[in-house]
Amino acid sequence: MVKIIKLNNRDFPWEEGLTIKKIMEKKRYTFPKIVVKVNGKVIEKEDYEKTEVNKGDKVEMIHLLAGG
Amino acid sequence: MDIKKMRESHKLLAEYKYELGKIERGYANRTLYVNISDNTISSKPVTETMKEKFVGGKGFGLWYLWNATSPSTKWDSPENEIVIAGGPACGITQYAGTGKSLVCSISPLTGIPIDSNVGGYFGPLLKFAGWDALEVQGKADNDIIVYIDGNKGVVTIEEAPLEAVDGHILGEQLTEMYADNEDDKRNVAVVTAGTGAEHTRMGLLNFSFYDPRRKTTRLKQAGRGGIGTVFRNKKIKALVVKFSNVKGNLNNAYDQSIINKTGIKYHKEIHDLDHLQNNMRKIGTANIIEVMDEYDLLPVMNFQYGSHPDTEKIKSTVFIEKYITQGVQDGCWYGCSMACAKAADNFTLKTGPYKGQKVTVDGPEYENAAGLGSNCGIFDPAAILELNFYCDTYGIDTISFGTATAFAMECYGRAIINKEATGGLELNFGNFETAVELLHQMSRGEGFGTVIGQGVHRMKKMFVEKYGADADFLFDIGMEQKGLEYSEYVSKESLAQQGGYGFTNKGPQHDEAWLIFMDMVNNQLPTFEDKAEALHYFPMFRTWFGLYGFCKLPWNDIVPEGNQYTDEPAKVPEHVQNYLDVAYGVTGKRLKVSDMIRESERVYNFQKIFNIRMGKGLRKDDKAPYRSMGPVTKEEYESRQERYDKQLKEIGYHIEGKTTEEKIAQLRKYREDQYEQLMDAVYKRRGWNSKGVPKIEYLKEIKMDLPELIEVVKDLQ
Amino acid sequence: MKYLAKDNSKCIQCGNCETVCSKTYFKEDNYEKSCIQINKEGDPEINVCNQCGECIDICPVVAIKRDKLGVVRIDKKICVGCFMCVGFCPQLSMRQHDDYIEPFKCIACGLCVKECPTGAIYIDEKSDDEARELKLDEVFRR
Repeated sequence: MVKIIKLNNRDFPWEEGLTIKKIMEKKRYTFPKIVVKVNGKVIEKEDYEKTEVNKGDKVEMIHLLAGG
Repeated sequence: MDIKKMRESHKLLAEYKYELGKIERGYANRTLYVNISDNTISSKPVTETMKEKFVGGKGFGLWYLWNATSPSTKWDSPENEIVIAGGPACGITQYAGTGKSLVCSISPLTGIPIDSNVGGYFGPLLKFAGWDALEVQGKADNDIIVYIDGNKGVVTIEEAPLEAVDGHILGEQLTEMYADNEDDKRNVAVVTAGTGAEHTRMGLLNFSFYDPRRKTTRLKQAGRGGIGTVFRNKKIKALVVKFSNVKGNLNNAYDQSIINKTGIKYHKEIHDLDHLQNNMRKIGTANIIEVMDEYDLLPVMNFQYGSHPDTEKIKSTVFIEKYITQGVQDGCWYGCSMACAKAADNFTLKTGPYKGQKVTVDGPEYENAAGLGSNCGIFDPAAILELNFYCDTYGIDTISFGTATAFAMECYGRAIINKEATGGLELNFGNFETAVELLHQMSRGEGFGTVIGQGVHRMKKMFVEKYGADADFLFDIGMEQKGLEYSEYVSKESLAQQGGYGFTNKGPQHDEAWLIFMDMVNNQLPTFEDKAEALHYFPMFRTWFGLYGFCKLPWNDIVPEGNQYTDEPAKVPEHVQNYLDVAYGVTGKRLKVSDMIRESERVYNFQKIFNIRMGKGLRKDDKAPYRSMGPVTKEEYESRQERYDKQLKEIGYHIEGKTTEEKIAQLRKYREDQYEQLMDAVYKRRGWNSKGVPKIEYLKEIKMDLPELIEVVKDLQ
Repeated sequence: MKYLAKDNSKCIQCGNCETVCSKTYFKEDNYEKSCIQINKEGDPEINVCNQCGECIDICPVVAIKRDKLGVVRIDKKICVGCFMCVGFCPQLSMRQHDDYIEPFKCIACGLCVKECPTGAIYIDEKSDDEARELKLDEVFRR
């Protein structure tokens, strides 16, 4: 069975030791105003590196609007 | 420059004296009408109905324009007007982004009303001089200026033969001419176009503000839709207003205290957070150049692609480190702590009539960097600044110029047009020398520059008729709709943004809605109904800024601490409340978000019906070029093959053994169908029928069932 | 440059300084209208402008300037009441009160020094190098 999490309600592969920071690097999410939630709970920026994500977790990375 | 000689050669055509008034709760309660055909000047009262139905700003502008014109009015008809109006919040000094003017006219590009939102000091000083709006109608015989002396209460129309036309010089000349001394210069605001506006349809208006540190007249632009072209066609050289005693309480606000409190809270927020978020104070909107590239949204080579390795050379930090003066207060109205009006000082021009001169370049804004830069394949920061400078001083809209030039470059690259057509110009992507020469040609009124200056819509027709180009292909790659060039975001992978551009009133400009992240990245709008809701809320919300005289940028180019814990972070609820508080503080009207949306719905639907009256504004006019929706060419498909193949598989199409052409055709069928379905959902949500016409029952519901509007829509129900 | 120096450890929170300041400049005994402000609870903390000059660059109309003695002053005739200087003051020592449309600040006049019973505040000099405002001639390479 493929191990996945839900990232913005889309499938995303899970791996051992996956953190918020790693997901952002893989997705190249570099925008400065992103709201991160894991299973509905807000994760602060300083905790991205230490926050591990478990199989089946629901992760949201909400980019706030941009555009001039 | 011999200012004295210039002034002496002015010939007075009309003079009008008025009582200096007092502003009450944000309204001067009268507007100024100037007719430059018969040189009459008069005052009109602002009625309660106007305030109730149209609020101010863009609402007043469209209302006056409606009354001045008929369905047969063309952009160059004498009865077409240029209306400039600030709105009740315009001129507040305590909150960021409160000096905006909204300019309305019938557009030379679209033939329908255009509205353009601009900073600079003209709007606030106009109000302090006693006027909620300025209507200019008619056409002069010779070049004129209109001067409003808000200290003495005198309006004059004067022939002005000697002054320059180009914005950066004319702004300086008139500031010098009407200011009593150096300290008085910030009390003079000038509106100009430029020489390029005379020979193209994409002319813009420059709105000045005097910078007491740089000791130079700086310019903000009402860029979209060719209002500068209308301005020069009327032989207006400039509009000037003077008012010398700006204080923080001239709006006579209902509750100044809440405005002070909200403003200071916001200033603190900018001070504490801007450097951690968007760096607006360092580089303004250009902070997103590399962000757009990273998310595949930066238009590259006529919107074919969304990123490019060379974006590295024009990313925001390059401008910050090498060009843009740092640490100087750069607000385009007092109290703007966001201060995004950046400038490159001591910039030496390499080409054109001002070659070798050191100038201050106002910019680059994101749209300039993307439109003049990446979209034309030009990845050179100095080139972008030079193009930016000449666009402004010649009075050419950077967005229309960028998108139109990119289109012509692609046509040239595909041998649809050749060197004979371009008058010998090598029009390949990345060619700065050619791009800047096109601008100089626009200024001189000659060569292929004037062809590009007609805009994408007219170029398409010309290339088909004159050079036998494939009309369907040009329709696919020509990034215009309703006659207006697309602004600089790649909407291909976001259906919601395709609608955000496609279902606009004035044409594809992103100031109604920018939904790409919500839709494509965040996946927050999975259904048609979700998208339709966003395509109702955001356009209405953002219309509201233009009714009051607010700027959009302070709303979401920074977010407050704790925003992530709110129900809808994307809407930035605390900032929405700030606006409601400031609007209450000025007018005394306590609005809820739903009231705010309702105020906008009235004006938005008024503009929609105005479009219909002018012969556009129906479903067929919301059709969009396929380049805005998906890959037109093989190269485009293959550049994102994985994404497109995946989407085809998801919709149950077997891609095995299929050629790229077959896959493109299948994807296109699917995406165009999605766009039509979105249109149905959005029209429904907006209270329109399937033709895109507001339903009478809806107009009644929003209290906009004015007889003249019903007259336009009744046979289209 | 001249400034009002402070020693929090000597402050007894009597409020004399606030009284003399607000009475002098606004004819009213109201600590909200005093340029110097002392917290009412907890360990004493004297909040007053240190004349760093960051506000000078924030002002859109150049109404804030440093005088010959090094004191940062607001020209209220020029001021347009935007209060950006209030929001951007690193010390939170630029004052605003709704009775007035301009901000106000300590100008190191020293009147409060005379009223302070413990010597917690005193007029002092510090190096001009501590001035934080930009040198515009250098910024624009004029």
